[in-house]
Amino acid sequence: MKVVAVIRQVPDGESRLKIQGGRVDLSGATLILDQMDEYGVEEALRLKEKHGGEAVVVGFGPERTEEAIRTALAMGMDRGVHVVFEGYADPVTVAEALAPVLKEEAPTLVLTGGQQADWDSQALGAALAEALGVPVVAWTTALELEGETARAKHDLDEGAEWVRVRLPAVFTTQQGLNEPRYPTLPGIMKAKKKEIRKVAFQGGARVEILEESIQEKARLQKVLDGKDPVAAAEELVRLLHEEAKVI
Amino acid sequence: MILVVLDHDGSKLRKGSLEALTRARKLAEALGAKVAGVLLAEGPAPVEEARGYVDTLYVAELGPYTAEQWAAGVLEAAKAGAKVILVPSSRQSRAYLGRVAYALKAGLLEDTLDSWTEGEWVYATRYAYLNRVTQKVRSGLPAVLTVKPNTTPLAEPLGGQGEVVALSVPSVPTVEVLERVQEEKKGVSLTEADVVVTGGRGMGSAEAFQKVEELALLLGGAVGATRAVVDAGWRPYAEQVGQTGKTVQPSLYIALGVSGAVQHLAGMNKSKFIVAVNKDPEAPIFKQADYGIVGDVHQVLPALIQAVKKLKD
Amino acid sequence: MPIDFRLTEEQKQLQALARRFAKEVILPVAQEYDEKEEVPWPVIEKLHEVGLLNAIIPEAYGGMGLKMLDEVIVGEELAYACMGIYTIPMASDLGITPVLLAGTEEQKERFLRPLTEKPALAAFALSEPGNGSDAAALKTKAVRQGDHYVLNGTKMWISNGGEAEWVVVFATLNPELRHKGVVALVVERGTPGFHAVKIHGKLGQRASGTYELVFEDVKVPVANRLGEEGEGFKIAMNTLNKTRIPVAAGSVGVARRALDEAKKYAKEREAFGQPIAQFQAIQFKLADMAIGLETARMYTYYAAWLADQGLPHAHASAIAKAYASEVAFEAANQAIQIHGGYGYVREFPVEKLLRDVKLNQIYEGTNEIQRLIIARHLLAE
Repeated sequence: MKVVAVIRQVPDGESRLKIQGGRVDLSGATLILDQMDEYGVEEALRLKEKHGGEAVVVGFGPERTEEAIRTALAMGMDRGVHVVFEGYADPVTVAEALAPVLKEEAPTLVLTGGQQADWDSQALGAALAEALGVPVVAWTTALELEGETARAKHDLDEGAEWVRVRLPAVFTTQQGLNEPRYPTLPGIMKAKKKEIRKVAFQGGARVEILEESIQEKARLQKVLDGKDPVAAAEELVRLLHEEAKVI
Repeated sequence: MILVVLDHDGSKLRKGSLEALTRARKLAEALGAKVAGVLLAEGPAPVEEARGYVDTLYVAELGPYTAEQWAAGVLEAAKAGAKVILVPSSRQSRAYLGRVAYALKAGLLEDTLDSWTEGEWVYATRYAYLNRVTQKVRSGLPAVLTVKPNTTPLAEPLGGQGEVVALSVPSVPTVEVLERVQEEKKGVSLTEADVVVTGGRGMGSAEAFQKVEELALLLGGAVGATRAVVDAGWRPYAEQVGQTGKTVQPSLYIALGVSGAVQHLAGMNKSKFIVAVNKDPEAPIFKQADYGIVGDVHQVLPALIQAVKKLKD
Repeated sequence: MPIDFRLTEEQKQLQALARRFAKEVILPVAQEYDEKEEVPWPVIEKLHEVGLLNAIIPEAYGGMGLKMLDEVIVGEELAYACMGIYTIPMASDLGITPVLLAGTEEQKERFLRPLTEKPALAAFALSEPGNGSDAAALKTKAVRQGDHYVLNGTKMWISNGGEAEWVVVFATLNPELRHKGVVALVVERGTPGFHAVKIHGKLGQRASGTYELVFEDVKVPVANRLGEEGEGFKIAMNTLNKTRIPVAAGSVGVARRALDEAKKYAKEREAFGQPIAQFQAIQFKLADMAIGLETARMYTYYAAWLADQGLPHAHASAIAKAYASEVAFEAANQAIQIHGGYGYVREFPVEKLLRDVKLNQIYEGTNEIQRLIIARHLLAE
């Protein structure tokens, strides 16, 4: 069995973002392995621990993405492939870039995060599945292998369902699937010796980002003292009715 | 052709479909194209209602939802030459559209707030970086767009009844649905709700959410929850608002006993008005709030319910 | 060797691990353990799990062989979340260092390997009730009797003393010989006659256990002696010359936290209709904190680099320890000042920074002793 976790490096959700020349400037931000992708790395490791085989991390993005690949290797992934691309690429383009690598690896399963913490895109898993001609199970919260198939639970718009899916397949991962482990210090030391193969990608993105801005809504910040809860509640309801006109 | 995938609940179109139709008509006018609809269903579908909004309506009954089957349905309808495909944003639609966009080699613009065309380009605005950054993006044709709920006026029916075309969609039997775990539906859906009442860890227990439900019901809204609450098992995951849950943008967001972690803010910071009740005056949620009450949520919430009832009488 | 201020890829990963650990595991419980004055065992277990506990033990004995610069990088991160909790692994390294410096292969295998196999701590016992800074004036006596020593006396202010698997105890064979009469003995927990009494009511660093150790006719095998008789004092000093560097790293962590908290508060808090960060009086304080932080970190790195190169570092480690702890104390002090009344209560984290970092000016040699070391180097030239 071979499991591939597809990962990207993104700014930490708590990092402050700046706009420089109409684009987000990440120079001051802490960059991390996308936490949604991290669930995929953890699941790959668990599957490998249970069923044997190989767990490969495939990263897409600029040179610095290697840090995130190293993190996945320190968590225990066996080796890495880095498809190097500077700048923005939409999920369809990313899937095109990764398709040759994934076809060559021919994994039993591909795991990737349900949503990207930078582009807020949810499409990469599905686009990869289309590129490989295999099914996708989005927003997976449970996953078990059963020979040629997998049984998985995943979220729908309302509720959830259990499905049986033919392998190979792509699963998008999220909170609830598992609790990702720390990249341990021994893991970091071992990761030093693990291979990261670099692959260049010469494509162009289908979608262009023209401008980025941060528009934080100015909030009224009218705070009432709740020592007298009834008076405070009545005043709040009055404000919502008369001033905000939302009730 | 501009193709709109019409989302529905089996008996009527969802609000998001009417928003997508408004967007489609605007693009169609600029591009000199016609608007067609496609109605994909597991079983019954609101065909009669839907034909009131479009000249051509493609219909297919596909059995249990899978991303593969739905993508196949959209691709079949798009064969008539769709320049732009518009779909109400949802987790499911964003999954199958990833397939569609790849298959058509189209530019995918997800969760758009607005969209327009200039020449052969489709432009849109959308949020990125966990809802913190607004992006202006563009794609050539064909393009696939998902429409963020509560961003666009609802379309009116055209007055006529469009032509219904039955689609023959090849079956893609790679995923077998074993069991649906339906969650009990109370009131309106979280992402479409105009009012969301969210309880955080400060609620203290699962039982305390009865009052949250009561207030939500009273305001015609939906109940939300923070990650801590879902992790504690007090509320189902489907109600989670935030980075790893749903993103909502109601007119009124009421946060009860919510501290306001960045991950939570990412899911609600675009709400029109935000109300916070928390006993800690330093809670970060107050920085994001339009109105707030510093006080014990267990005292303030019942008082709020009474005050709303009084207003309604 | 060219000067290079960049961290290696592994050091960056190590820093990221320690930072995440500090944020997710230490920060949420720091206040609780401070209030309870209890050792946070779950944190120690987790430190072991991720490999950050006793990581200076060489790979040959099951450890990670962390270098001093690595340790400094980790120390800053852990102390950022809680200096008191950081003292626990730091004091364990303090106990391990004499074994590394003077232990035989057999002793290293016997004492160090167990500390890599489970969450376990070591300790270092030099200070006594009647002598802190005058390390040569030991009263704890060791008397050789055949294949063992009989140990009698009391040690004071011993971090991890009650939790440690073993303690390196410095005792005198003959008080008249002063530092030439000192022997270093490894005393294992549970040895008859060895008791640890926890010291309560500390101002800060309350999550770390500090003990009075009592030895009553404790028999210690000669096989547990580090180095030769009379080498104990040199072992103790060589140890402290190294381990003062992690103390400096902890201070850097506290200073960074103080600056972060002060910055955050100054931007939020308004007075006279604008955030107080707009006032020059506040800006000067923040700038001074930044000057202290940057220089303290840079000098601490330098001292660590010297130690890693095997170059003389006693002078540098003394400067780093004294300077960084004073910078951090002042940063904590100014962070409280910027917070005003709120800085003086527990709802805000800055009063704890001051309480915690005060100890960094005292333990592992008071800053007055550091100045003596520095001066001695100057005057010896």
